[in-house]
Amino acid sequence: MPDGNQTIIGQPAIRIDGRAKVTGMARYASDEVVANPAHAFLVTSAIARGRIRGFRLDAARAVPGILDILMHGNVGGEAEKPKPMSGGDTTTTLESDRVWHDGQIIAVVLAESFEAAREAAHKVEVDYEAEPPSATFGSPGVEEEVRKAGEHKDYKVGDAEASFAVAEVKVDARYGTPTQHHNPIELFTTTCEWRGGKLTVYEPSQFVYGLRGSLAKQLRMDPGDIHVVSRFVGGAFGSRGGITARTAWIAVAARRLNRPVRLVATRDQGFTIVTYRAETRHHIQLGATRDGRLTALRHEGWEVTSRPSEYNVSGTETTARVYACPNILTKVNIVHADRNTPGFMRAPPETPYMFPLEVAMDELAVALNMDPVELRRINDTQTDPATGKPYSSRSLMPCFDQAAERFGWKGRNPAPGTMRDGDWQVGWGCATAAYPANIGPAAARVTLTLEGKARVQIAAHDIGTGAYTVIAITAADRLGLEIGKVVVELGGSELPAAGLAAGSSHTAGICNAVAKACEGVRQRLAQAAVTSNDGPLAGQDPAKLTLSAGALRAPGGAAEDLPKALARVTTGVLEVYAENIPKGLPPESIGKVYQGQMAMSRGHSREDATTYTFGAQFVEVRVHALTREVRVPRAVGAFAAGTIVNPLTAHSQYMGGMIWGISAALHEATEIDPHAARYVNDNIAEYLMPVNADVRSIEVIMVPEQDAQVNPLGIKGIGEIGIVGMNAAISNAVWHATGRRIRDLPIRIEDLL
Amino acid sequence: MDVLLKVNGTEHRLAVDVRTTLLDALRERLELTGTKKGCDLGQCGACTVLLDGMRVLSCFTLAVAAQEAEITTIEGLAGENKPLHPMQKAFLEQDAYQCGYCTPGQILSAIACVQEGHANSADQIREYMSGNLCRCAAYPKIVAAVQQAKLLMEGP
Repeated sequence: MPDGNQTIIGQPAIRIDGRAKVTGMARYASDEVVANPAHAFLVTSAIARGRIRGFRLDAARAVPGILDILMHGNVGGEAEKPKPMSGGDTTTTLESDRVWHDGQIIAVVLAESFEAAREAAHKVEVDYEAEPPSATFGSPGVEEEVRKAGEHKDYKVGDAEASFAVAEVKVDARYGTPTQHHNPIELFTTTCEWRGGKLTVYEPSQFVYGLRGSLAKQLRMDPGDIHVVSRFVGGAFGSRGGITARTAWIAVAARRLNRPVRLVATRDQGFTIVTYRAETRHHIQLGATRDGRLTALRHEGWEVTSRPSEYNVSGTETTARVYACPNILTKVNIVHADRNTPGFMRAPPETPYMFPLEVAMDELAVALNMDPVELRRINDTQTDPATGKPYSSRSLMPCFDQAAERFGWKGRNPAPGTMRDGDWQVGWGCATAAYPANIGPAAARVTLTLEGKARVQIAAHDIGTGAYTVIAITAADRLGLEIGKVVVELGGSELPAAGLAAGSSHTAGICNAVAKACEGVRQRLAQAAVTSNDGPLAGQDPAKLTLSAGALRAPGGAAEDLPKALARVTTGVLEVYAENIPKGLPPESIGKVYQGQMAMSRGHSREDATTYTFGAQFVEVRVHALTREVRVPRAVGAFAAGTIVNPLTAHSQYMGGMIWGISAALHEATEIDPHAARYVNDNIAEYLMPVNADVRSIEVIMVPEQDAQVNPLGIKGIGEIGIVGMNAAISNAVWHATGRRIRDLPIRIEDLL
Repeated sequence: MDVLLKVNGTEHRLAVDVRTTLLDALRERLELTGTKKGCDLGQCGACTVLLDGMRVLSCFTLAVAAQEAEITTIEGLAGENKPLHPMQKAFLEQDAYQCGYCTPGQILSAIACVQEGHANSADQIREYMSGNLCRCAAYPKIVAAVQQAKLLMEGP
């Protein structure tokens, strides 16, 4: 930590919400109990493009227990289209008779029981006016356009085309990554309850204020009349960031029935009623000198989106600045198809875009006959090559060196196909991980009681990241309390606002806000202590007093126990509210969060420095000589992410991220029927995700790093860096094992026959 | 129809649709929401409960078919202030979860895994715990938790 002798931040701590999780007492949004709910079941479109001519509902209406059926014809005007946080426009559901994609919500059936609602929904008959849909890249009828500069921009430094043309050594190749779906284990549920004109929404969320603000606009309500509750979230990975269509219709349904309504969307509906990671294509050109210095980098990407949306992730914003290079050119294209609108999924830009760069770097190392780690070292830099700004900190090579040592990289025979263990071809590969250190504004309220306990209130989100615990750690650290004396309330829009739990920004945003509120507490106590006539701290410099081990302390050793110090301020409770506006954001950005809009200072958008997290991934793969089965017996990842608030939960996040990377390389892909534009493996038996038996040794190294510039607590964020680069490291290892260069993910047995 | 369910030692008499799964009966009728719905298709394991000590998927078990059995859910392992089961304690200490949504199913499955005699090596635990998906991918720590709890459950 930049400022001091505090000791609780950085010590491993068991989750304060852990007992609730292991006893079943943790109340996820799907678990919230409401009195006498009606049950909703969605009817989704069976075509991917066209219009709905009409519904035949006699059979559905004959099901005992049916209450109502919501459609365009009866409720279409009651809610406006949801506004995504990124990409502008999106598809409609009941607002129109138009069908934009397969699996679109076209009706909501309401019944006394889940079973009756499901039966009736299956009996809804729909007459369509179908048109042939466009599924993906290469399908007839897709519309391609160059992504305009706006949310994302391109980089042009020097003359990459001319430099590439004359480069001594070149890599020029095309790559692809597949469609992926988040598939958090908690289903996409929504429960709505009205009391008078006030609405309570229970829905798993990564941004309760965002959900509140968006829903208020859709229903033309005062946001203050909507309360969003999401105390625990059963996985998110980006899927619960922005509002999606279902929420407003469940609110409308509850208003029509004058009764709470609960929706538990099915697993397959979760593939089409929320977002996903779109498939991407890439063209990379690298030019280098014979001694390995990059002279040219061109990266052009293509991303699929829905017809009306301009959503894209533009990971070239990261690939343009990973390595020193005097000539850089990036470009991104979007391809509109008859699909649902994509959205954030873990390391949205870097998972698909660092894959081609890091495989291309491996190809360059091979062309240069150079160790891939040394190629990274030669091209390492402390200056952002895209803008010329300094990195606030960048520990890429310490990560490579520590991970390489732990992995035993120096024992690698660089020639492909040379390492073998019985029937298994063994390959070792590595790659760089990079992710921007983002941070959002946040507000927090800290209340100190005479019993020496603290309560922290902040509308943060614990999506499994350990947010409850890092908030408690920060408050305990700053207030000089034991972690057990801190109570944390989060996950509700009644609390002081915090932004989207995404982009590895949340811990930095919320902990700095909590620290600021705690500093307010310290100042109030210090001021009272130094101005007292009789206290042990009378006359001391208030700026130098600190809170530690249950007392307010002066540098010379004078101290006053916390209850006594607090009694000088109040005989009740001391409550401090604080707002933290990160560097680079305007003061009004906290107001945007209260209104439910996204506000984030991004790692590549600051004036003073580029703030990024770096890491290195090393992996061993084994490819069976006969069956071509691919296994990953071990992986080592090293990451430097500034201050690590809780190493125990940080380890879990890094480890989970690395396994997500293995999954991105070898398991996950949503398969699309090219004619029907329909997801065909829309369940979690056929959408492959790692199970326990797929995972062996995962080693995580947390490389110490201090960064006083990135934010006051020096926190860079870790939720996403663990996945980045792992897909490339595995592809590179497969090349080393077999001599096959696989440039399209996932890597399947049939790629290695 | 009327059913009698014996859950965590308590008898509950309730009227259910004949199609109601044990999972929905637990969650929606008895407000025992510790048992989770993750797919409703028998694919994820989040709804795992014990029926007479055997692990079963409650989404694949009709409530009417569970009447003869002693049903144990996560709420039956430890109350508000009672000591944790060794498996719960091990999951807590090993940080063998992140979001925690699959955790009740993992813990009940892990208890059965030990009792079945399928926790004799890390490899065997990995295999016999592969019916419970963890999207956060806490798998190595789940294996460590099962190993830790097994020692306490079986003694040295």
